[in-house]
Amino acid sequence: MISSLQEDLESKFKDVEVRVLEQNRISVLVPGDSIPVILRYLKESGLNHLALISCVDWIEQEKLEVVYVLTSYMPNDTEHGPEQRLHVLLKTRIPREDAQVKSAIAVFENAEPYERELHELYGVNFEGHPRLIPLFLEREYEIPPFRKDFDMRKYVEDTFGSIPSVDG
Amino acid sequence: MDRNQIAKWLKSPAKMANKYSLHAVYFCTGCGIIEIPPVITTRWDAERFGVLPVATPRQGNLFMITGYVSLKTLRAIIRTYEQMPDPKYTVGFGSCPINGGMYWDSYNTIKHLDKYIPVDGWIAGCMPRPEAVFIGVTHLWTLIDKGKADGYLRYKKNYAAYRRNQEMILRDIEWPPLYPVESKAEEVSV
Amino acid sequence: MTRIAQIVLSPLIAFVVGVLFLGLSRKIIARIHRRYGPPIYQPVIDMVRLMSQRSISHGALFELGVVLSVAGSFVTVLFIPLGGTEVSRELHPFAHGVLCPLCGSGGLLVVTYLMLFGPLGLALGAGASANPNASIGVSRKMLLAMAYEVPFLLVLLAVMSHYGTISFTEVVARQQQAGWGVLSVPLSAVAGFLILPAMLGIRPFDVATAPQEIASGPLAEYGGSYLALIAVQKAMHLFVVIALYVDLFLGGGVNLATFLLKMLAVFLAAEMINAVLPRLKIEDAVKFCWKWPTALALLQMIITVVSK
Repeated sequence: MISSLQEDLESKFKDVEVRVLEQNRISVLVPGDSIPVILRYLKESGLNHLALISCVDWIEQEKLEVVYVLTSYMPNDTEHGPEQRLHVLLKTRIPREDAQVKSAIAVFENAEPYERELHELYGVNFEGHPRLIPLFLEREYEIPPFRKDFDMRKYVEDTFGSIPSVDG
Repeated sequence: MDRNQIAKWLKSPAKMANKYSLHAVYFCTGCGIIEIPPVITTRWDAERFGVLPVATPRQGNLFMITGYVSLKTLRAIIRTYEQMPDPKYTVGFGSCPINGGMYWDSYNTIKHLDKYIPVDGWIAGCMPRPEAVFIGVTHLWTLIDKGKADGYLRYKKNYAAYRRNQEMILRDIEWPPLYPVESKAEEVSV
Repeated sequence: MTRIAQIVLSPLIAFVVGVLFLGLSRKIIARIHRRYGPPIYQPVIDMVRLMSQRSISHGALFELGVVLSVAGSFVTVLFIPLGGTEVSRELHPFAHGVLCPLCGSGGLLVVTYLMLFGPLGLALGAGASANPNASIGVSRKMLLAMAYEVPFLLVLLAVMSHYGTISFTEVVARQQQAGWGVLSVPLSAVAGFLILPAMLGIRPFDVATAPQEIASGPLAEYGGSYLALIAVQKAMHLFVVIALYVDLFLGGGVNLATFLLKMLAVFLAAEMINAVLPRLKIEDAVKFCWKWPTALALLQMIITVVSK
């Protein structure tokens, strides 16, 4: 099943790089524009569960890598075991300065909170998202906090250490 | 009750009643609240100490801040603390309110709780065991006896300093000051 | 005893016994949960502490509601006979005259009216506190009152038509001559015991002041001395309801001590139900109160009317 998926992807779409990480787990690297098309193709070929959208900060290469983890809903009985579950990690690299990706809400509706989280913590802008407001944090930061050039200790010392204690 | 207790009750009933009827506001602040349900249920019974959980701050007089305090939670804690009627006692529970604890270098949690609201006592641990809660409660009793548990009096006295700290960390506060604060407008003589 | 002395003594007995019952309820529930509970005088400590706290008021209507509900329960006590007998003074060595300051010829109807002032006053005060939890609690409390009033009135009608009178002292005297109410109107006694938790506001019918769901319902904004007064009202309402049940179905008491012992027995039965049952939703509570207790009370009324 893995090899058939690999051949389908490489034949149908251009500029796709597929690597087999271990048994039943592959990673697919695509350019940023073809994300919605490939997501819809994977959903129609059986991978209908978007488990997570995550992000990695490659600061030396000046790129952010957005990762979509896809798997399939399977019933929990004795015929389906863990070796039949297939995981696909769909990755794309976008420039750090101007990070824009098309939103995946049209294909998977449950991508809405993950994209809000990535917007506030990494600064990635998702086009087509109806409500891109902060999810956990309370305020805006000049550098998004999860990027590697955000100096955490200096920020903590400036913000919290500068408040005097109350005597008496 | 021995004769000493009866004499104490007759001399200052309000102080003795405040000791033996500490109703805790059941505001589950952080991850440390997981240690409170065992304390108030059957195995380690806190009701024999007079400690009960209540649902609203208007009915309570003990506020236990369990676990880390993020900035959103700090807003809710200050509003809840100001709604409780005097006299009220605050206890910092766990090591995160003391000095930041496990989140000492986080961008979103505050490090010292007693810069923003007055705290009467601390219980160290991550998380403290239920026996530590009872030791803390009995220690709070001795503090109330000696008159040293005066967090609410300190809040009233130093309210300008507390309000300034709250405004510095939260940047915009939508509720008015609890006690009147003189504004520091400079008079320019004409 | 003169009437003035009775007017002073009756509410005092109600207050002391009510507060004792409140403390006893916490102790009983704790022992059923296999733990030690607070001491029996814990409600006294709570009330003293609440009185020493600064009371925050929300306006004149807020304070008026509390005063109205306490006054309602206070006055209701004056119309209920608390033991004592006129008919069999010679038979019992420790009997005394009926302890009932304002008993006249229309006791049952007056008590039915006055018992509603408790929830009504609390609803008035809670409406004045601008809290949505209080509004939800008030609507549930009024629905629950509507739920238990229907079987309660049917029970009273059956008792009134069996004894042919609406005077409270007459009902108690006839029971002391001819036998207890549970033997004369048994189905009404069962229906009355089924709605006793609803009238007291304990589980399974404590949906109106649920701390976990709606932040104590109507009591959400009460603190300080107002809450102490509400605790007093709760104690007196508990006393009124249980005294009513004992007078209607268990024959009152030849003296105060027997009366209080019978009240203790009914109270223990109700508290044991309180300790083990969960809470019903408001729709299920109304459905229950309008189904079985109403059916039993209606059946008893038909039997009483037909057999006269």
